[in-house]
Amino acid sequence: MWKRDEAVRPPQPAAASPVPTPQESARPDAVRQEKGTVNIGKSVIIKGDLTGSEDLTIEGQVEGKIELRNNVLTIGANGKIKAQIFAKVVIVQGEVQGNITASERIDIRDNGSVDGDLVAPRIAIADGAHFRGSIDMQRQPKTGGEAKPAAAPPAAAAVK
Amino acid sequence: MASLFRWGGRARASSSSPASEPAAGQAAGSATSKVLPKLLQALGTIDAPVLMDLGPVVGANISFLGEELGCRIFVEDLFAVVEEHGRAGTREQLVDVLPAKLTRADASVDGIFCWDLFDYLDRETARVLAARLVAILRPGGVLYAFFGSKPGELQHYNRFRIEDRDRIATQQVPATPTSRLVLVNRDVNRMFDGLVVSESVLLKSNARETLFRKPA
Repeated sequence: MWKRDEAVRPPQPAAASPVPTPQESARPDAVRQEKGTVNIGKSVIIKGDLTGSEDLTIEGQVEGKIELRNNVLTIGANGKIKAQIFAKVVIVQGEVQGNITASERIDIRDNGSVDGDLVAPRIAIADGAHFRGSIDMQRQPKTGGEAKPAAAPPAAAAVK
Repeated sequence: MASLFRWGGRARASSSSPASEPAAGQAAGSATSKVLPKLLQALGTIDAPVLMDLGPVVGANISFLGEELGCRIFVEDLFAVVEEHGRAGTREQLVDVLPAKLTRADASVDGIFCWDLFDYLDRETARVLAARLVAILRPGGVLYAFFGSKPGELQHYNRFRIEDRDRIATQQVPATPTSRLVLVNRDVNRMFDGLVVSESVLLKSNARETLFRKPA
């Protein structure tokens, strides 16, 4: 009977997150999607290139290259990244070894750690953060137009 | 320990009393600088200047300098290296270690922020480091430093935060105690042979806030 599921499911508020697929339910710590943000859990290790067109939060480990040219990338407190990063906005709460390029902003929060070069028009580094490398804050172009988006981003986050 | 920034100008209300040694990360003062505007003016004439900060990374400085100058900044926290060797009891190695940390090519940097690093070094290390900095500086470039002239034991580092074009705040963090290297004007001029003193202001704390320029 279908009511069997209802007995174990906790009551859901009207605007709750999408129900995870059976596969995701089986690995609650792996990859989740909440309110348009993909979340890579702390048990996930990715070696290779990561590209996408959705906001992404990484709590796991990534080695390679990350490209989210038009989206926000958040490296969570448990995230450990050894990669070149390209995104619109990059928020670092965990560890990054590699260069970060953002078209809008880089934000290294308290306890965040970056060993690499930063390139962005706006960069914020909290006092408790660790940073070693160079910072390139090129002036905003005065054309008034939006920055040209990267060539044809893929439809969804994908691991190559 | 008295605050480094005592120009005689009125300190902001947030400044703490200098009567006792401050706790870690405590604000020590905020005051007007007469030299900082000259430094920013000099760097402002250079398109996308390349800067080198020898102090710990301070987010407010990065944001300020980035927005004011549209610059590229290399952060080389030599204070951390000094502290590491101070704790390990290997300060004598600094004469080799510090210059080796500065891997930038000669004549490749437009502005160097030394803050009060030289107070924490021995005379030979200071001399060797200064020579390396002079080499790294591009003709027309500027170097900004403080030199304490009051002998004594240093028990904290000053973390400098640029608040505005003419205002700097300091925050004190604990350090492995060391004696201050006191350099008179003649010593400083010899150390930075190849640079000319563009501005030098004696602060009430007896420190000299100095701006050097490398002739073009």
